[in-house]
Amino acid sequence: MLLAPALAIYTLFAIWPLIDVFILSFQDWNGINENREWVGLRNYYHILYNDPVFWVAFRNTVIWTIMSVIFPPVLGLFLALGLNQNLIGRAPLRAIYYLPVIIAPIAVATMWRWMYDPFFGLFTQLLTNAGLAQLIPDWLGDKDVALYSIFVAYVWQSVGFSMVLFLAGLQSVDRSLIDAARIDGANRRKIFEHVTLPALRPTITIVLVLSTISSLKAFDIVYGMTGGGPAQSTQMLALWAFTQSMEIFNYGRGSAVSVVLLTITLAIVVPYMSWSQRREEDAQ
Amino acid sequence: MTTTSPIVVAPRKRRDPVLIGLWISLVLVAIIWLAPVAFITFTAMKSESEVFSSAAFALPSKIEWNNFALAWAKGDFNNTFWNSTVITLVKVPLGLVISAMAAYALAQIRFGWNKMLLVFLLFGAMIPFQVMLAPLFTLVNSLSLIDTYPGIILPYLAFGVPYQVFILHGFFKAIPKELTEAALIDGASHFVIFRRIFLPVCLPVLAALLILDFVATWNEFAMALVLLQDKSMWTLPLGLMSFQSQFSNNYSQLNAAIVITVLPATLVYLIFQRYFVSGLTSGAVKG
Amino acid sequence: MKLKTTLCSSICAFLATGVTASAEGLTIWTINYTSDKQVSALTAAEAEFEKLNPGVDVEIVMRGTDEHKTALRVASGSDTGPDIYAYWAGLGLGGEYVQAGMSTDLSSYYESYGWGDRLTGPSLAFSEAFAEGKHGIPFRFSGEVVYYNKGLFEKAGIEGEPETYEDLKAAAVALKEQGIPAFTFGGTVNWHVMRLMDVILETTCGAEKHDALMAMELDWATEPCALEAFTEMKWWTDEHFLKPFMGIDNRQATTLWFGDRAAMMLEGDWHVPTIDENSDMSKYGMFAFPTGTGRLYGFAEYMYISTKSDKADLAAKFLDMFTSDEFQAAHIGAFGALSVNKNVKQGDDALELHKEWLDVFAAADGTFVNGDQAFPLDVTTEYFRVINELASGELEPQAAADAMAAFISTR
Repeated sequence: MLLAPALAIYTLFAIWPLIDVFILSFQDWNGINENREWVGLRNYYHILYNDPVFWVAFRNTVIWTIMSVIFPPVLGLFLALGLNQNLIGRAPLRAIYYLPVIIAPIAVATMWRWMYDPFFGLFTQLLTNAGLAQLIPDWLGDKDVALYSIFVAYVWQSVGFSMVLFLAGLQSVDRSLIDAARIDGANRRKIFEHVTLPALRPTITIVLVLSTISSLKAFDIVYGMTGGGPAQSTQMLALWAFTQSMEIFNYGRGSAVSVVLLTITLAIVVPYMSWSQRREEDAQ
Repeated sequence: MTTTSPIVVAPRKRRDPVLIGLWISLVLVAIIWLAPVAFITFTAMKSESEVFSSAAFALPSKIEWNNFALAWAKGDFNNTFWNSTVITLVKVPLGLVISAMAAYALAQIRFGWNKMLLVFLLFGAMIPFQVMLAPLFTLVNSLSLIDTYPGIILPYLAFGVPYQVFILHGFFKAIPKELTEAALIDGASHFVIFRRIFLPVCLPVLAALLILDFVATWNEFAMALVLLQDKSMWTLPLGLMSFQSQFSNNYSQLNAAIVITVLPATLVYLIFQRYFVSGLTSGAVKG
Repeated sequence: MKLKTTLCSSICAFLATGVTASAEGLTIWTINYTSDKQVSALTAAEAEFEKLNPGVDVEIVMRGTDEHKTALRVASGSDTGPDIYAYWAGLGLGGEYVQAGMSTDLSSYYESYGWGDRLTGPSLAFSEAFAEGKHGIPFRFSGEVVYYNKGLFEKAGIEGEPETYEDLKAAAVALKEQGIPAFTFGGTVNWHVMRLMDVILETTCGAEKHDALMAMELDWATEPCALEAFTEMKWWTDEHFLKPFMGIDNRQATTLWFGDRAAMMLEGDWHVPTIDENSDMSKYGMFAFPTGTGRLYGFAEYMYISTKSDKADLAAKFLDMFTSDEFQAAHIGAFGALSVNKNVKQGDDALELHKEWLDVFAAADGTFVNGDQAFPLDVTTEYFRVINELASGELEPQAAADAMAAFISTR
C-alpha cells in the first residue's frame, strides 16, 4: 500500500515506455496514422545498413563514452587528492569545481556556444589577442573539431561530480594505514599506490560506471550546442533517436535506434548491478 | 617500502614545496573553472557595443541593468519562471514522500519479494530516459496530458523515484526490523512508526535529496522539450533555448538570459552546499 | 492512510486542471510571427470576425515554428485540436497532413466564395497538389531573392545587377579580388545554406528537371545537372562564403552582413522590414537569383480546415474574410510584400524594397519551392546533411549526388 503510488507511477511512466519503445521499433508509424503497421526487423535493417547517420552517431557515442570515462574521472581524482590535503581555502576551491555541476546542461550549452562564437566569442578573442588568429578553428562548425569542442564543455561541467565521489571515497581510506606507511618511510607515490588506490577501488568502479551511464545519455549539451550538426557530425545515439522520432516523425526508426542504445546500456548496467548486489551481501 | 627518503618523512611539515605547488595548480584550475562564469556575467552587464569593443575579461564600464530587464521581457521569463517554480515545488516534495513510503515498505515490511521489487525499481535509475522520449510522448499524449502540469510532473516522479528509493532504502534498512515489529504489536500504525522513528533519523538525507532533486528538476530539459509543446507551459531551460534561437545575435541580452536561468540554482547551491556533497556521496559510495 | 488520500487528492486536483473546458467557438493555430505587424493583423482578424459574427469566440493560438509543428502532431494523435491550422504548403509539411486526411476538401467553398478568382496564381499552386479536391487556402506567399550591399558592389567595380548566372559568378570573383566574400550564410540552421543549393539546382537543371529531382522521380546520381549543381555549389562554398559559416546561424550572418562583412544574402521578402529596422535601406539593393528559368523562388503558407472540426462552414467564413479585398487591403504588407489577393496592391508609402518586390512578383514566370518544402522530412534531413558535408569540404560533388540517390532509393 505504501508502495503503491511509487510503483504505479514508475510502472506506467517509466517501464511502460520502455516496453513500448521495443514494440515501436518493430512498427512503422508516423504519429498521424491511426494504426501502427508491423514491419518486423525492417527498421533495424534500415538503420544498420541504409542510414547514413546511424554509424556516425554510434561512433560518436563510443568516442564520447571513452573520453568521458577517462578525462573527467582522472581530473576529478587529481582534484580530490589535492583537496584531501590540508590546504588553505579547501572549501571555496571545492565549491568552485563543483559549481558547473548544478548549472543546467542547456545553460552550459548556451554559455559555451557563445564562448565558441567564431567572430566575437571568448576563445576567438583570446587567440586573436595572442596573435594566433590563423589558428582559430570554427569551433562548432568544423566537423573535425566540433565534437571535441562540445566535450570540453562537458568536462568543465562534469569534473566536479567525479571529484565529490572521490572525495567521499578518500574519507574511507584508513588514516592510520597512511601514517604507518609514512613511518615505514614510504614516499607519496608508494603510499598512493599501495594504500590509497586499493582503498579507492570500489569508488573508482562506481565513478566509472556512473560516468559511462551519464555519457550515454549525452543529449542536452549536444542538442543545445550543435543540434547534431554540422552535417550530423556530432550526432549521438540518444539525440538521433529523438531526431528520428520527434523531428522526422519516424517513430519506428527512432525507436530502433533507442533499442540499440538501450542494449549497450544494459550491457554495462546489468553486470554492475549484480556486482553491487554481491558487494552488499558480502557486507552484511 | 623501506626505501629511505627522509625528506618527506615528517608529516604535515610546514611549507612543503610539493604542497605549495599543488596549491598553486589547484588555484589555477579554479581560475580556469570560474572564467566562463565571469565572462558570461561580464558580457551580460555590458552594452551591445561594448561587447564588441572591449576585451573579454574587461569589467563593464557601466553596468547595463537594462539588459536583464529586456531579456526578462523578451524571453517571457515571468511565465517560464512561474512554470519552473510550480513544477519543481510540487514534484520535489511529492516525489520524496512517495519514495520515502516505498523505501520504508521495502525495508521494513516483509513481502517475500522485496528484493525483486527493489531491483526492479533500481533498474530505472540506470536506464537513460532519453531513449524513451518518443513513447513517453505518445503515452502522455494518449492521456491528453501534453502541455499540462501533471503531464510533466508524473513522468518526473517516475524517473525520480528509483534513485531516491535506492538511497532511502539504504538508510531505512539500518534500522532493525524488530523495532518496527514491536511498535506494530503495540498498535502503532506504519504512519506513526515512520514519523516517530524514521523521520528523525533520515532528516539529513531527506534534506540532501530534496536539494539535489530541486536542482535536477529545475534544470531538466529533454523531457520538458517533448512534453511541453505550448509556449505558455515552458520551463526555464526551454525558454532559454528558444531565447537563444531567436536572439542569437543580441549577445548581451543572451548572456543576461543565461544569468537569469542559472542564478536560482546557483543560489540554492551556495546556501545548501554541504547537503550536495553529503547527498551525492551517501548514496553512491556507501551503497 | 492519510498520506495516501492527500496524495491522491493532490494528483486528482492536477488531473482536473489539465482538462480544460473546450472553448465555444473557432480555434486557429498559427506560428508565432516575429513581426509585430503580422501579430496585430491576426489579432485584428480575430476582433473583426467576432464583430461580424456575434456569439462567435475566435481564439488564435500562436506558437514557435517547431512547437507549432509538434503541436499539430500532438493534435493529430488525439481528439483535441484546432478548427483551422496554418502550415507551409509544401509536400513534407502541409502536404503530409493533406495526404494523411487531416485537411477538409474545400472545393465547395472555393466555388461558393469564388476564391479561385480572387487569389494569385503562384500562391494557389499547392491547393490541388497533394490530394483530390482543393485543400487549404493561401494567406501568404513568400519569395526569396538576393539582397546586396551597394557600397561593396561599387568597391568591387560591379556595374548593374547581375542578369545571368555567369554575371553573378563574375561579380563574386570581382568581390573576392577586393577581399570581400560574396555571400554570408549561417550553417547551424541548415535551411539557410540550402537556399543557395536550391537556386543553383534550378539554374543548372532548368524548371522541369529541377521539379523532377525534387519529386524524387529523377535519379540524382545519374542526372548530370545534379552533379553540376553540386559542383557549382562547391565553387561558392569553397571560395565565396564569409567564413566560418557552419558554426553560426542565420541571424548572426545577418548581423555580419549589416557590418559590411559580406556583399550578399539570399533572403526572403521578410528581410525588408529587418533591413528597415537595423540599417539604412538605401544602402541595399535586390535582384532575383538569375536562374535563367524566370521562376520565382519561394513558398506559400496556407490555412487548412481540420477534418476534426465540426464547424467547417464557420471556418470557411473566417477564411473568406481573412483573404477578402477589404481585410487584405487594411493589412497590406503584414504578410510579406505581396498580398495573396490579386486586387490588393501596396501603396506609394510602401518600403522602397517592398516596391521592388512587386516587380519581382510581376516578372515571375511560375514558382519553385525551397528544398525543405519539396521533400518529405527524412529526405530533407539528408539533403541538409549532404549540402553541409559538401560545404565543409568533406564530400566531393559526385559523392554528394550519389549520397542523395542512395538515400532516396533505400528510404
